[in-house]
Amino acid sequence: MSDLLQVKNLNTSFHTEDGVVRAVNDVSFNLKHGDAMGIVGESGCGKSVACLSIMRLINHPGKVEADKITLEEKDLLKLNEKQMRKIRGNEMAFIFQEPMTSLNPVYTIGFQLQEAIRLHQGLGKRESWQKSIDMLKMVGIPSAENIAEEYPHCLSGGMKQRAMIAMALSCEPKILFADEPTTALDVTIQAQILQLMRDLKERINTAIVFISHDLGVISEMVDRVIVMYCGRIIEESDTRSIIKEPKHPYTIGLINSKPQINEEINKLIPISGSVPNPLQVPPGCPYNPRCEHAMEIEVSRGHYVNCWLYSKKGGQVRQ
Amino acid sequence: MNDQIIKLEDVKKYFPVRGGVFSRVIGHVKAVDGVSFTIKKGETLGLVGESGCGKSTLGRTILKLLDPTDGSVYFKDHSIFETSKEELRRLRRELQMIFQDPYSSLNPRLNVGEIIGESIEFHGMASGKEKQEKVEYMLEVCGLSPHHHRRYPHEFSGGQRQRIGIARALSLNPEFVVADEPISSLDVSIQAQIVNLMEDLQEEFGLTYLFISHDLSMVRYISDHVAVMYLGKVVEICDKKELYDNPLHPYTQALLSAVPIMDPDLKSNRIILSGDVPSPANPPKGCNFNPRCLYAEDRCRIEEPELRDIGAGHSVSCHLVEKR
Repeated sequence: MSDLLQVKNLNTSFHTEDGVVRAVNDVSFNLKHGDAMGIVGESGCGKSVACLSIMRLINHPGKVEADKITLEEKDLLKLNEKQMRKIRGNEMAFIFQEPMTSLNPVYTIGFQLQEAIRLHQGLGKRESWQKSIDMLKMVGIPSAENIAEEYPHCLSGGMKQRAMIAMALSCEPKILFADEPTTALDVTIQAQILQLMRDLKERINTAIVFISHDLGVISEMVDRVIVMYCGRIIEESDTRSIIKEPKHPYTIGLINSKPQINEEINKLIPISGSVPNPLQVPPGCPYNPRCEHAMEIEVSRGHYVNCWLYSKKGGQVRQ
Repeated sequence: MNDQIIKLEDVKKYFPVRGGVFSRVIGHVKAVDGVSFTIKKGETLGLVGESGCGKSTLGRTILKLLDPTDGSVYFKDHSIFETSKEELRRLRRELQMIFQDPYSSLNPRLNVGEIIGESIEFHGMASGKEKQEKVEYMLEVCGLSPHHHRRYPHEFSGGQRQRIGIARALSLNPEFVVADEPISSLDVSIQAQIVNLMEDLQEEFGLTYLFISHDLSMVRYISDHVAVMYLGKVVEICDKKELYDNPLHPYTQALLSAVPIMDPDLKSNRIILSGDVPSPANPPKGCNFNPRCLYAEDRCRIEEPELRDIGAGHSVSCHLVEKR
């Protein structure tokens, strides 16, 4: 099957007064229909910005450049704003991290849902209202008819996130970007939402890009994982091998620094130091100041393998 | 026994709800509703629960940062709720707190030396050059460089700020520290650093911690005993190993099973709770947990269960423990 989404060499930079922040550096990935892909990384690694860039939701002073972003046959880089609006919310949808701030507080839940449905599917007032209620029922909101007439502040965090999911899925998008959809929620509510997302994914066969910093959530939700650090992809593989056989020292560090609930450990192994200032990313591998395996290698631009440990040159040095 | 450093007896904290034209009290939010436990010297009690269950309120009430509604807290022989203001101020030297948000808990207008030195001087522990040395020592102990004392909080990253908060709390050589979600606003790679630091300092200074967190896996790592809170009450408390291996309260079971495990091969038998946490202003009748409980019976809807010891220091508040 052909690729649903192709992203090649995506670069997003923010031109600020203090300098240029390269939030996303040469990020490339492909997504097939019905895929579930995860992006893992700590705050500021560019995982959200990468997805927002694809949706073209980056404003001034942000600048998005890429060799290629295509959705099926459409070249998203060539579309104008009006054409892009037809795609956003319709073919590509986004679930934001904070359900508390991403719903408009002055409109009812139902109004906000039917807005997208009317806009993209051209349904009438009554049909779109009915469809919004059906969507609310699908995401497991009890007494959906009443909730549709409520304002967001009347709903709990978990309910709001359900409403957001209903909204994102109302036009049956081909791709759903879920940006830390459960981070702001409690674990028991998180379990409900993850279950819901898995069920819905099977039902409407949407491709999901699941952004999270929690490898536990990622390992439950997706088949393939991208690990990002300082705006770069540093490791990419299927979920199993990322978790069982991580290769990049950062991925290993990330896994080691988080205790698991089902095991007893004596000492945590943290990653030393902290994420570098995005204005002053260290030369060479951005992880080198924190890496215990760091080697003195003259780094050329455009290296493909993102850790010298696993390259020929690195291997020689190590010996 | 003498090694109990903190003892809580039926601690309650109600917040009044006002309404109507004259803002009369029309009800209470029972944020903490009758909590009792003890902490032994040198141990860490992990306090877990979901947002709104009253764990932070309890932490603050113990130190009398919030005025308690009822109950008593004993620190060694002192009753914290009954001591005079003057005496409490002296006592606070022994009782310190590490706050959740390292961004808002440090005064942006003071430099780090002043932030840490302020309390040292206030409590008359040192001044002048001696104070300076103490500040630099604390910074070094907490993994910062001593010459950072002239810098201001905004110059530090989140993890470093949390280290400053810890240095401030520990500069007075306290015995008991309430750590209110000290790692939840930090990145994963930094969380482990801070938890390790807290453990090292515990060993070095013989500290006793109340570690409040919603991160169940971190609590398993750092605690000796764990208390689970739900709607203002402790529903289960016991030794860490016992709690994670053999949870007895249905809420604890659901809570533990809900934590995602980083293992793609593991098939989880997850208990998915229905519904949300009820409002503490209007808790359900009988057992607080009954509307979401899988096993609830008629009795659970009428009669409130007591927290009772079912052997080996494992206390749980559920009518049906023996039955299930």
